[in-house]
Amino acid sequence: MHAIQQQYWAVRDYLSPVLKESKFKEHGRITPEEFVAAGDFLTYKFAMWSWEKGDPSKLRDYLPADKQYLMTRGVPCLRRATSLAYTDEDEDRERLLSFGDLSSTGNEADEWVETHAGRKANHESENVGEIDDIPDVDDGGDHHGVSQAMGGLSISGGKAAAADEIPDIDDIPDMEEEDLENGDDEATATSKTGVPASGSGVIESSQIEVASGNLLQVRTYDVMITYDKYYQTPRIWLVGYDEKNRTPLTPAQIFQDVSADHAFKTVTIEPFPHSATLQAASVHPCKHASVMKKVIERMNQNVMEQEQKSPLPGKDKDKQKKWMFRKASGNGKDDKAAAAAAAAAAEAEDDGGMKVDYYLVVFLKFIASIVPTIEVDATTSF
Amino acid sequence: MPIVQFAPFSSLVDPNFWHALTNIKIDVLRLDDHTVPVSASYTAGRSIVDRETGNEIALGCNLTVGGEAFQDTPQLPANSISASGVFKNFNTIEEFKAADKTALFNQQTDEIWDSIKKGSTELLTRFLLITFADLKKYKYYFWFSFPAFASKPVWEIDGNWENASSSFTDEALSAIQSSLHQQLRPFFLVKTTSSGVPEIAPVEEYTTFFKDVPPTSRAIGFIDPSAAASNPGWPLRNLLAFLRYHHPTDASDGFRVLRWRDLESASAGTWKSRVGIVRVAGDADKLKPSAVGWEKNAQGKLGPRMADLAPMMDPTRLADQAV
Repeated sequence: MHAIQQQYWAVRDYLSPVLKESKFKEHGRITPEEFVAAGDFLTYKFAMWSWEKGDPSKLRDYLPADKQYLMTRGVPCLRRATSLAYTDEDEDRERLLSFGDLSSTGNEADEWVETHAGRKANHESENVGEIDDIPDVDDGGDHHGVSQAMGGLSISGGKAAAADEIPDIDDIPDMEEEDLENGDDEATATSKTGVPASGSGVIESSQIEVASGNLLQVRTYDVMITYDKYYQTPRIWLVGYDEKNRTPLTPAQIFQDVSADHAFKTVTIEPFPHSATLQAASVHPCKHASVMKKVIERMNQNVMEQEQKSPLPGKDKDKQKKWMFRKASGNGKDDKAAAAAAAAAAEAEDDGGMKVDYYLVVFLKFIASIVPTIEVDATTSF
Repeated sequence: MPIVQFAPFSSLVDPNFWHALTNIKIDVLRLDDHTVPVSASYTAGRSIVDRETGNEIALGCNLTVGGEAFQDTPQLPANSISASGVFKNFNTIEEFKAADKTALFNQQTDEIWDSIKKGSTELLTRFLLITFADLKKYKYYFWFSFPAFASKPVWEIDGNWENASSSFTDEALSAIQSSLHQQLRPFFLVKTTSSGVPEIAPVEEYTTFFKDVPPTSRAIGFIDPSAAASNPGWPLRNLLAFLRYHHPTDASDGFRVLRWRDLESASAGTWKSRVGIVRVAGDADKLKPSAVGWEKNAQGKLGPRMADLAPMMDPTRLADQAV
């Protein structure tokens, strides 16, 4: 069934026309040219992102051959999204991401709720993604939407993960050869997860942790952004690596890093379009355009209002806009990107709104709300 | 003086590599189990600040093997250094278990040592990868080794690794950064001239480049894949073996080593690179030193690891989780 569906998608993608006109202000959708422009800007501003060619047999002719998709490697993911259990207290901390003054729009129905903002993981030490981390939320309570999602996740995710979890040790051939190397090598820093070597002069792994400041093994992700021709938006893809084994994560493990509202719904495992064989987790792009449109509208509105209110020249104006923007979008991880986006909008004011170059920067912020613990937000990763 | 402890490489295998391995095994190698050249890459060590605790967390010292590893001219990720290696696939699990790993390893260390003797830094980051691919079950057994020569006696450091801004000016560091940006080198020499602008040269030109340069104006740089404050990355180990072989007196006087991590433009003048003076006592004999470098598994033991790609490759299991 799934195979048929994928075939259908492939055909639909093939038949759908390439978007020619710029529509990003009206619909939040972008043309391939705009995708390339926005990607160029992203790679220029944030060196961690780069253009990739992909498999030559999967070349999309509406994109330049050497700019088929964007990629960044080794994006850290410190905690599991599922370990961020959702409580009543957290509900109070939900923030409306309005990208503008509430009073000025007066349309609260459009606001976008950020749920995982500035919250502490409740399993501080357990960032290793044990299955036990999935909170036991039996009480449907008053916000059952989320609870049910969490409950559903712990059942299906738990089961699948248990089956997919690190393979039976028996599977790995028993060929440990401690005598392969003559004695311990005192000039090798002991592995972070490893058993401390017993040789003289070797400090133990626990001491290394103290010495070099909380050395941890973390899950990492390779993140790709492709252009989806049918939905005419960027689409995000994730390939994860286990923190200990550094082997690819299973789908169930990846879903641990997706916020509960999106796992199994908007995030699914699909064949990656620029590779013949790779399967990767992807956020389904059907809602991207409308969300992006709202975000862009808010930003433009904000900037224009600012312009009317304070016709100050140069830097002062810029600063004030950043500040106004910050007030609207709250603090924490959004700050920098929000400020950058606001500054971007300010720079682009001559054209009467945000330049399409900043589209992907804003897009990554939106993605960050779906995968709260993966630091995809380019502006805060380093 | 504290011993210099190096952070070993951790292999990070892109799923694309297993796909490429499957293809090359079925279409090219078939039952051939000869060694095949393979390439990998590493980049400067990265660290991130945990938003919740404010601690700086060093990410692993990774060597990435990607889908293009078997291509002759692989496309490297941005800001990466290429490392060449040798790949050997075994046809059965029994052969994989019984492989003469010591012989394979010694063959590599011989080659590296020969290249050191010839005065080339090309093979300093050479690695070895042995695999057994269970193609029907989508399981891949693999074991990496990153041969590094163990120095006797060991290298010691004066004090601790300090931030690079303690011995270089901002202008000097920016100049190093821009010249590395033009041409990325895994290892390089830095000479601070009287004008204050540093010059960069390949390590092979040590004698001519450092002629009449006082030791205080010299530095030896390498792209450091380790972000750990007190553990330089694995490539430095063979670089020091190289330097000690060719310049033994300078080795006992001490090298100023620059662990370069600022490949991307630094934000707000914060440099991540570190600097320290390392030295080794005694004379080096010209014989090949013993070497170490087999990668440890998740349990911290010397042993192979396994990547189970069934959840991501097996069509029936993919259909199961599809909505």
